[in-house]
Amino acid sequence: MNQIMRIRIVISVFLLAMSLVSCSGGDHASGSRSKGSVAVEDFSTKRIAVLLGSTHDQYARKHFPQATIQEYKSVPDMILAVKTGKADAGIYNSNQLPEVMHEQSGFMLVGKPLFSADIAVGIGKGNDGLRLSFNSFLEEIRRNGVYDDMVTRWLKTGDYRMPAIPEAPGDQGSIIVGMSYNMGLPFTAFSDNRLIGFNVEMVERFGAYLGKRVVYEDYEFGNLIAALVTGKIDMIGSLLAITEERKMKIDYSDPYINEDAYLFSLRKHVAQGGVQSGSGDAGDTFGTVISGIEQSFRSNIVEEDRWKLIVGGLWVTVVISFFATLLGTLFGGVICFLRMSKNRMFRGAARAYISIMRGTPVLVVLMLIFYVVFASVNIDPVMVAVIAFGMNFAAYVSEMYRSGIESIDRGQTEAGIAMGFSRFDVFRYIILPQTVVRILPVYKGEFISLVKMTSIVGYIAVQDLTKASDIIRSRTFDAFFPIIMVAVLYYLISWSLLFFLDRIEKKIDPKKRKQPSISTF
Amino acid sequence: MIKIEHLSKNFGTLNVLRDISVEIGEGEVVSIIGPSGTGKSTFLRCINLLDQPSGGSIRIRGVDILAPRTDIAKIRQKMNMVFQSFNLFSHLSVLENLTLAPVKLLGKSPEEARTKGLQLLKLVGLAEKYAFCPDELSGGQKQRVAIARCLAMEPEIILFDEPTSALDPTMISEVLSVIRRLARQGLTMLIVTHEMDFARDVSSRVLYMDEGVIYEQGRPREIFDSPKREKTRAFIRKQQSSFHHISSAVFDLYALNAEIEGFCSRLAVGLKSRQNLLLLVEEVLQLSIGSPSSFPLDLTVNYEEKTDMLELLCETPPGTMNPLQLEGEQAGIGLRIVTNILEKHEFQQSAEKNRLVLYLKKQ
Repeated sequence: MNQIMRIRIVISVFLLAMSLVSCSGGDHASGSRSKGSVAVEDFSTKRIAVLLGSTHDQYARKHFPQATIQEYKSVPDMILAVKTGKADAGIYNSNQLPEVMHEQSGFMLVGKPLFSADIAVGIGKGNDGLRLSFNSFLEEIRRNGVYDDMVTRWLKTGDYRMPAIPEAPGDQGSIIVGMSYNMGLPFTAFSDNRLIGFNVEMVERFGAYLGKRVVYEDYEFGNLIAALVTGKIDMIGSLLAITEERKMKIDYSDPYINEDAYLFSLRKHVAQGGVQSGSGDAGDTFGTVISGIEQSFRSNIVEEDRWKLIVGGLWVTVVISFFATLLGTLFGGVICFLRMSKNRMFRGAARAYISIMRGTPVLVVLMLIFYVVFASVNIDPVMVAVIAFGMNFAAYVSEMYRSGIESIDRGQTEAGIAMGFSRFDVFRYIILPQTVVRILPVYKGEFISLVKMTSIVGYIAVQDLTKASDIIRSRTFDAFFPIIMVAVLYYLISWSLLFFLDRIEKKIDPKKRKQPSISTF
Repeated sequence: MIKIEHLSKNFGTLNVLRDISVEIGEGEVVSIIGPSGTGKSTFLRCINLLDQPSGGSIRIRGVDILAPRTDIAKIRQKMNMVFQSFNLFSHLSVLENLTLAPVKLLGKSPEEARTKGLQLLKLVGLAEKYAFCPDELSGGQKQRVAIARCLAMEPEIILFDEPTSALDPTMISEVLSVIRRLARQGLTMLIVTHEMDFARDVSSRVLYMDEGVIYEQGRPREIFDSPKREKTRAFIRKQQSSFHHISSAVFDLYALNAEIEGFCSRLAVGLKSRQNLLLLVEEVLQLSIGSPSSFPLDLTVNYEEKTDMLELLCETPPGTMNPLQLEGEQAGIGLRIVTNILEKHEFQQSAEKNRLVLYLKKQ
């Protein structure tokens, strides 16, 4: 038994080494053999990282009941968990692991494939037209050799260049394809500010075949099926294994590839003849931080123009923050007006709104608006984010307004009314300026927390600053640099916006405002 | 100018104004006096519709302001109000308080409004404070700014709602002299006040309000010196007395002294008389403390203006000794001081209470 195991491991390591050589030109793919004998079973009580909602996830739950299963939202998170010792092993696809190992040394495969799965394109239930078109498209590229060429280039030789694909003739509309951008090469990745990979080429070719423009939407893997079911996307172009369970919800095309799932782990954990639960390679990371900041900077920012991703993400974050604040500030005014109205129904409605919004996590509201409220409406996810954060902000600021308004004594209103101002004028000239001065300090705090809260919009296919760093991480598998960089950028956004608000505050504070000198009269 | 007929106002089931009819002519200065809670302020607030009347009619220069078509805001611009609590706009400087409404409502240019505002500030003596925030002013200064703010709108009618009630005694006169000055300028003014002297010499007419109606009205002299009706008489009398209930031997002497002093200064009692009165109160109370059965004790100070006579009435439970007839150690010096400043005293005993009346010597 042991003997057989050892042979298996030798073979798998050999295969791994071969694949690394084939895709990387043979740099650090030394293919060192492990001295100990390690089998899949050795991990059955350990911590195993999987991609949330994947077949790996299901498999691990079923076959490693003793293990601690850690579900990660994205591939880079999962791989980082293994790399830093948060998990003892991970499960991933045979075709993608070589790329991971190329970028980050120190991983090795464990044992033989766990299982094998057919991968197909997911299509909305009942959308037979699209499904049949894809099937005949697949048949055609298999017949004319394009498919074999793609497999050779992407999966065998590791040539990650996107070929030129003939533009779709005519304008037949567009097709919306959901993908996890950070799934990883050779299937899907962001490089030089565009999507590349086997799946991307296939989808583009399919678009050209249909004569339709392809629009990509970026989703976490676990959200893809929900997006398809609610009609946010027309098809799923990420690696979707065919399972009976999923078939209840969506339809599949014919399978276009077959993937083996492997358990992988850090070489140093398994090298000593048994699996060591690692405490991560903190010392190692620390060393890299000190010595390799320049290297990190190059790989995370400069290479493949990744700074453009950051700039784009930064812009999206600023746009969402700005418009959500604007919307929330105005809508908060409406809510406050209803809350203070004499009409009991208005008051009740406003109170209910405020308590619901304050009592529900904004992430849940975000998902609710995206997947439920606008289920069958084609709406820009950035807009959804603006609406969700704006609504949340409105609930908080409306109560702020109310306390601000109520803190101004009624006498001033009466004085204004008595000298002939209309109620609206009194509000505009007397109540509002004082309310603003009173609530600005609290408002600033709420605003900052809104900016930071926007970091969750990645859930609904928006590429903001956080998501940009995720995408970079998915290519470089470097935890430290992108996260620190994003933290610094968020701080800078908040700081500069605060600076701006501080100026306003100084400007409107009556005590700090300059009075004209008497000689000017 | 203002014609009010059968005005009534209810707050829920509470009948504050029952039936008020009065006519106020151009340039009249009308003081409204009366006990607390008889709807004087409500009456004033009904005239500019800060409180909506429950019934009756109000006509200003012939315009029915309760008619739904009437533009009440336009009428209010000509009929401004000064409040008990000043109600300055706290986010604006003193001068800006004066210029806001003329610029926004009368369409004056900012320069014009500032020039006019500064003039008005000079009129009330606060030109040098033009750049201050309301928070930085004393109560009397705030009220003067509020009056200037009123004038900035060039009103024909000014309603004063207890303009000095929220002020410290030391600041009352600065505000009253500003109002006196305005009264001479032909503005129509309605003043709700508790300052009887002021009402007497500033007004052309005095309304005494009680029980939700105008109970009695007339020229100041008629109301203050020879009121015709029972309640008016009682009220006017009460204005010239000060009542204090002392429930036990451990009372707050300082507060009592301050109240009596306030009363004296309001009625312009001479300094020497004032000191003697305070001395008398203190000594009488000192003598009473000797017998615990003298509490609760009711003290009333009366001042007769015509005769300049101060009188102290001291009512105690039945069966108490007359403190002025105490003898022995504890009575000694105190008694001698008291008899020294007293004109005469009377002591009556009855089944309900004992009454000791002390008349102070004239100074």
